Amino acid sequence: MALDLGMPILVVDDYQTMVRIIRNLLKQLGFEDVDDASDGTGALAKLKTKKYGLVISDWNMEPMTGYELLRHVRADDALRTTPFIMVTAESKTENVIAAKKAGVNNYIVKPFNAQTLKTKIEAVCGA
Amino acid sequence: MGRTSNVPPAREAVPVTELIEIADYITKLKRGIAALRAQELTRDRIPMAHDELGSVVAATASATNRIMESAEAMLAIEAKTLPEYRAQVEAHIGDIFEACTFQDITGQRISKVVEALGQLEKRLSQFSTVVNVRDGEAEHDAEEARRKARAETLMLNGPQLKGPATPQDAIDALFS
Repeated sequence: MALDLGMPILVVDDYQTMVRIIRNLLKQLGFEDVDDASDGTGALAKLKTKKYGLVISDWNMEPMTGYELLRHVRADDALRTTPFIMVTAESKTENVIAAKKAGVNNYIVKPFNAQTLKTKIEAVCGA
Repeated sequence: MGRTSNVPPAREAVPVTELIEIADYITKLKRGIAALRAQELTRDRIPMAHDELGSVVAATASATNRIMESAEAMLAIEAKTLPEYRAQVEAHIGDIFEACTFQDITGQRISKVVEALGQLEKRLSQFSTVVNVRDGEAEHDAEEARRKARAETLMLNGPQLKGPATPQDAIDALFS
């Protein structure tokens, strides 16, 4: 199955520079419909008003972290199947395992490159 | 039934040697406090470290923005000829080189902060030797306690010092 380049993607990160980097990488991959939020609360609000094909979220944010966002998404009947990739500097094994248990689809450690992001999106979105 | 006495117990005499020891300790304590130069730390060094680190954050953000603007501009170049394209790319690369000059200045700023922290560490170490006391239970700061509890519950460990604690390959193996 080819990647659907028209699918909306939500990028969640409290650092605007990181949002900009991910936006540019996604643009290079051919994705045009990209929105962003600066924490889990803002992301949940957007997820409830628009159907996203993928969420790419940081972990460490205030007031709602990416981990809490993931748990909210997986607990919500309307959102639970939304693919979710964590992109974070939290690299301890306990974090990775907790995210996996909470239902994350893939996990990228910062700093990362375009190829890693592409590979994970393809793995999660079924290219 | 015995009678209860209302006479307070006689105060025990404090040996003179003990008083001398206490006086010596107080003198050492005063010297230790003076050597800390706490006012200089709170008036000069700590605010300086705060300001320098703030400047480092601002300079890094500014340089990142300039570099990203140049990169985005390069991606958007629509030149008609190769020489024209090359000239535009070279102009943007020049901007990127200029933006990278922040590294030299931020390096110097960070060195000043490291030096200030070294001074603070040295003085605190000398002070703890002089007063000869062990760490006790500090009064609980509610905000600090809340921050610690949040970090623990939500596993907010932050970046590790020497690269990722778990390499991407090992993470990938967990998801394969």
